[in-house]
Amino acid sequence: MLIKVSNVTKRYGDIKALDGLSLEIKKGRIFGLLGVNGAGKSTLLSVLNGLTDIDEGDVEIFGLDLKKEIREIRNISSIVPQNLAFYEKLTVKENLEFFSNIQKASKENFLKAIEINDLSELLNQEASTLSGGQKRRLNMAIGLLNDPQIIYFDEPTVGIDPKSRNDILDSIRSYKDLGITVVYTSHYMNEIEKICDDVAVIAKGKLIEQGTLKEILQSKSQTLEKHFLELTSEAQDV
Amino acid sequence: MFSALVKKEFLLVLRDKQALMALFVMPAIFILIMSVAMRDIFSQESISFDTAIVDADNTAISKTLEKDIAANKSFHLVDQSEAGFIVHIPKGYGDENSAKSPKIEIQVKGSAKSDVIELFKAKLLKEVVDLKLGIITERLSEFSDEAAAAVGSVKLSTDALFDLRYNEKKEVPNATQQSVPTWIVFGMFFIIIPMSTIYINERKQHTLARLNSMNVSAFSITLSKIIPYLFIAQIQVWVMVAVGMFIVPLFNTPALEINGSVAGLVFLSFALSIAAVGLSSLIAVIADSTEQATTIGGISNILLGSIGGVMVPKFFMPESMQTLANISPMSWGLDGFLDIFLKGGDFATILNESFMLLLFGAILLILSMILLHRKLNRGL
Repeated sequence: MLIKVSNVTKRYGDIKALDGLSLEIKKGRIFGLLGVNGAGKSTLLSVLNGLTDIDEGDVEIFGLDLKKEIREIRNISSIVPQNLAFYEKLTVKENLEFFSNIQKASKENFLKAIEINDLSELLNQEASTLSGGQKRRLNMAIGLLNDPQIIYFDEPTVGIDPKSRNDILDSIRSYKDLGITVVYTSHYMNEIEKICDDVAVIAKGKLIEQGTLKEILQSKSQTLEKHFLELTSEAQDV
Repeated sequence: MFSALVKKEFLLVLRDKQALMALFVMPAIFILIMSVAMRDIFSQESISFDTAIVDADNTAISKTLEKDIAANKSFHLVDQSEAGFIVHIPKGYGDENSAKSPKIEIQVKGSAKSDVIELFKAKLLKEVVDLKLGIITERLSEFSDEAAAAVGSVKLSTDALFDLRYNEKKEVPNATQQSVPTWIVFGMFFIIIPMSTIYINERKQHTLARLNSMNVSAFSITLSKIIPYLFIAQIQVWVMVAVGMFIVPLFNTPALEINGSVAGLVFLSFALSIAAVGLSSLIAVIADSTEQATTIGGISNILLGSIGGVMVPKFFMPESMQTLANISPMSWGLDGFLDIFLKGGDFATILNESFMLLLFGAILLILSMILLHRKLNRGL
């Protein structure tokens, strides 16, 4: 097991963003994290990256304790945030060089990130002038620079056209081929169905269901979207 | 890693044209405008009134008065169209047989202030009284040489009548010496604009969180932002000094002179930039949006400036306000610059002000680091 989350609780004031959440993520898989807005998906990704402290529980990643070995965990993981977390006034190349130098990444990784995300033609273009899809690709490429073993994607296809979305999904699938474990959150069920091996549904900071995509789809004999709507509406009623 | 952070910050600032305008063009224009506009207010030379004389009397006496006025440096004789004051000597003024000569009429052009008019009248009065004393002396000499000599010995010049002593002579700057430090100090605190814009965009776009996820600490982030702005601030100082030395004189206004230590000037500018960067950094970390940061930054700049002698020079302020001014870092910077530009101060002269600025800047930088660290830990 690569990631083991045990009874994690995270509070913001009186609100429990994560409420005794436990789940496990296997190595080398694409793991889909589903949930309505405010379910706790982004909080969980922040916790897994050490960007947010937890109030209770334990997290183990590659056998490393999140509370004690956060620096080591960060060296082998990477997050692609929902926001376009780069510098609009820098060119694509300057952005990649900056984040590469920050992490002391190798030249090989630098070139690999450009190739996988199809950015070679855009290197000298200022990031602000890129299209929505190109910006998303740059955002993803930055996440690949430190040669991570785990990448967390927080809704990476928000606000882009179907063609760019497919390109991004193809790129993410190719990450799996590189041996990288992917944790992916999205609102779009068809995306989850398309690329994920395993799925977990969370609502109100709690785990509702977890399993392989195949198992879930077979056992319920309905589309993932329908099943998700049933699960989340039940959770809201509780 | 640190050099990458510094390089990034440099690139972002240098590509922000609005920020560069605020940091360089705005203070340079202010220096130019204020130096020229305040040239006469700060001038230490004797006032010279542009004066025209209309002599309707045309007698020996009126001609003597006209000659005496022309010889007095306080009056600069010009055509009526250019004159601020027109002196009308009426017909019959020089009539020695008349018991009461008609009054001289002074025509004041424009909106001369009452104290300026009073000064003009005093200068003219001296010439009129000199003239009358001359006439009396001449008449007395027909009866008594002794009495004529006594009246003739009366001198009305201020140098002959008064001995002026200063208990504490205050050096007053000229317009350029006042404007350059003022707008260097004020302009430097406008670093808040580029700094907060970049800082807040980084936070909003989660770039800082991303950097944090790459093991970049709040300490490194804050420190990397100091270096480019210190560098820019130094360029800012020397550009403004150059404007004062070479551009301002082109507008018939005194040039800036660096009478004191250049090393002192460099150290003082460094200390001032630390203070400006410290304040900007703290505001950038506290503010939630660029609008909020520029509003807080603008208000704090204006408050510190008005207290610290940027808006109104300290020596124009009452004693109590001058004491209050000492709480503003802008006042410390201004005093330091005036020590160097005006009083020819050496390195030791500006140490006190410089250490105050360094301490102020360091405290705010540490505070902003702590706050940023907390925000990063809370996921911003």
